[in-house]
Amino acid sequence: MTTTADAPTTRGLLLPPADPRQHLTSPTTRTVLRLQQHMLAAAREYLTGAGFAEMMPPIIGPVTDPGGRGSKQVDVDFYGHKYKLMTSAILYKQASLLAFPKIFCIAPNVRLEPLETANTSRHLAEFHQIDVEMAGASRDQITAVLEELVRHIVSRVVTDLPAEFAELGRDTSVFTALLNQAFGRRTHAEAVSELIGLGHPQNPDAEIDWEGEALLSSRSAQPFFVTDYPKGSRGFYDRESAQDPGVLRNFDLLAPEGYGELCSGSEREYDYARIVTRMRETGENPAKYGWYLKLVREGIPASAGFGIGVERFTRYLAGLDGAWQANAFPKLPGVVSP
Amino acid sequence: MTGLRTRGFPERAVRERARLGAAAAFPADAHYGHTLFGAEATADADQLDQLRITPPVFMPQRLEKLIELGREPLHTDVALGTVIGGLRSALPLYLSAFGSTRAAGTDQVLAASRQAGRLGIPMVIGENIVPMSGYGRGGEQTRRTALGRIAAYLTELPDGLGGVAVQQSTEDADAEVWNLVYSDPAAQPLLESGRLAFELKVGQGAKPGLGGMTVLDRTAAARVDEQFALDEVFGPDADRVLRCSSPGTFTEEILRQQIRLMRNNYPRVKVWVKLHPGRDVALAADIAWTAGADAVTVDGAEGGTGWAPVATLAHSGLPLGECLARIGPRADCLLTSGRFWEGSRVVKSLALGATAAGLGRAALLATDEDPEAGLTRLVECLALELRLLISSLGKYTPAALGPEDVWPTPAPSAAAPAHRIPEVLHHG
Repeated sequence: MTTTADAPTTRGLLLPPADPRQHLTSPTTRTVLRLQQHMLAAAREYLTGAGFAEMMPPIIGPVTDPGGRGSKQVDVDFYGHKYKLMTSAILYKQASLLAFPKIFCIAPNVRLEPLETANTSRHLAEFHQIDVEMAGASRDQITAVLEELVRHIVSRVVTDLPAEFAELGRDTSVFTALLNQAFGRRTHAEAVSELIGLGHPQNPDAEIDWEGEALLSSRSAQPFFVTDYPKGSRGFYDRESAQDPGVLRNFDLLAPEGYGELCSGSEREYDYARIVTRMRETGENPAKYGWYLKLVREGIPASAGFGIGVERFTRYLAGLDGAWQANAFPKLPGVVSP
Repeated sequence: MTGLRTRGFPERAVRERARLGAAAAFPADAHYGHTLFGAEATADADQLDQLRITPPVFMPQRLEKLIELGREPLHTDVALGTVIGGLRSALPLYLSAFGSTRAAGTDQVLAASRQAGRLGIPMVIGENIVPMSGYGRGGEQTRRTALGRIAAYLTELPDGLGGVAVQQSTEDADAEVWNLVYSDPAAQPLLESGRLAFELKVGQGAKPGLGGMTVLDRTAAARVDEQFALDEVFGPDADRVLRCSSPGTFTEEILRQQIRLMRNNYPRVKVWVKLHPGRDVALAADIAWTAGADAVTVDGAEGGTGWAPVATLAHSGLPLGECLARIGPRADCLLTSGRFWEGSRVVKSLALGATAAGLGRAALLATDEDPEAGLTRLVECLALELRLLISSLGKYTPAALGPEDVWPTPAPSAAAPAHRIPEVLHHG
């Protein structure tokens, strides 16, 4: 059901106010956006200092990330040709490594998520990512970058914005473990076993479902990685293990306290024949990826990278109920809004 | 009537059933008391048609039914309700996909959809409907869109029965048919009541190993020339061109992973897989079920609404009966399509391991004959035959049928996967 934002709640959850003035002038929104602004500045500070070049992300293209979990792309009429709004810049991130070996961008993404995601507290139809890609990196190297980046951002905002945290009623001592200890790590198979042990049914061939993610997250005191997702759960660009076929060299970073996934990343496929085969395994028609496959056939660097959901990360730091509270013009799936 | 014609299909008999309903299960009553009846040779009989249904003399399951009822059971005691690929159906029947070809006219398709809903049987919406006819959202006016068909189907659908299976082929992936349906408000009633399925189209019976083909006029062709290959088989000056889809490339791993991805991406829908009658159909079906498919459809090399080369129609693909023999009886849900229109062929296919049979051309002809009730009458006649034949075997549900109910009893084929040769016969 499409819902208008006039209704204050949907399925018992807080919805954005229908009036954008009310949202934008709310003290909470203003504090959250100040926090977010500082987070982005800290991300740029860290990444630029680590030698990453900031790229301007493309907004439209003949093809975008096919995504997963049932989200629909938005079609754009490009002079009579069907283009797509970026669901993520992944294909362009790989291509960008032809210009610079280490890149990042702060990119908008649009995904028409299934209506049921309107009440996960974590999904927005329009959201932003801190997208990072690094040529020649292994999974261990890229998760080290991610861990340092997250720690740097959290350290910066906790140090610089105590008044904002106080206004939000967020006790910053919850970040002590994050700031001082290495992030936890478990494989997808271990996470599945844990969930099944907790009585939560989880398909071992699929993504950890949203309830499962929230459950694992709520049982942890600090962020942790889930690695080695099965092949049938992710896009064609996550690299399949050479030693362990069917297992991907990828990872998610989950926040503690029930906030769930903050970030997905992986080593990438870069070999032409493997990418074409993986496209078929994910039900894609390679013909529509013409420009990308031409680049790949001629050679692109091996790489690894990730994308941090800006609104989700902000929600976790600020201790918010919903990711929409971390967006100035929030769009919940199916909710007609400014 | 639109002048829709079929070749190699008992069109006259189907049209008669669309007019007369259950009465057409018997010879014309004008002959009753005056004519002696015997077996007649059937034209165009295939391997499945040539089997005979073999009622035994001794019927322990009839005794069970007698005890249950406290009276002698009749054919009216056969319960035809069947779970088809996770969807509850009033009958072991479903409405097959029609494809995007012009033979499946808008009114017939909508009439068939409405009646399938009325009958409480699942309906499949074919590949290429969305890229060719649109989905029905965003200002598209045409009634034959996927959404138009779903709306027609839902008008008379009883609670708790039926469901819609939406096909997607390799080239439909560009139109994101499944993503569109899964996130669409109009599909929510089906999704929330567990009555939505997605069918991965791997192949089709009329053109095994080839993709969809339709004949388009040049204006229509120009609209889709970025998506489909166009072939000037009728000459450079002809008004019409052949539109060809790619069949998509499959290996064992590609099929397995596509099914897993469907389950990952659409956890709330049932997953169906449609196979052409390939020589490795048993292996492909086994992979599909093992990867978690709720149903596998085998489309016999029997024809369809689309355009197909004469050479493939006449010479390509295993007969449906051989497909069933190779797959062998197993507990998984197997759907069959290909020249079904009356009860005996359905009973034989169920006896050989199918869970349900699809009505394609028969449904189109029946709605062409009478848009309001043609399909309903055809199915009433078919249902009566199912009840008569199943009860004649001393059985009272479609699932009770087994290979012992037909002759010659099919031998386990050497082409079936070794680890899957009849492990469990249907309880019967």
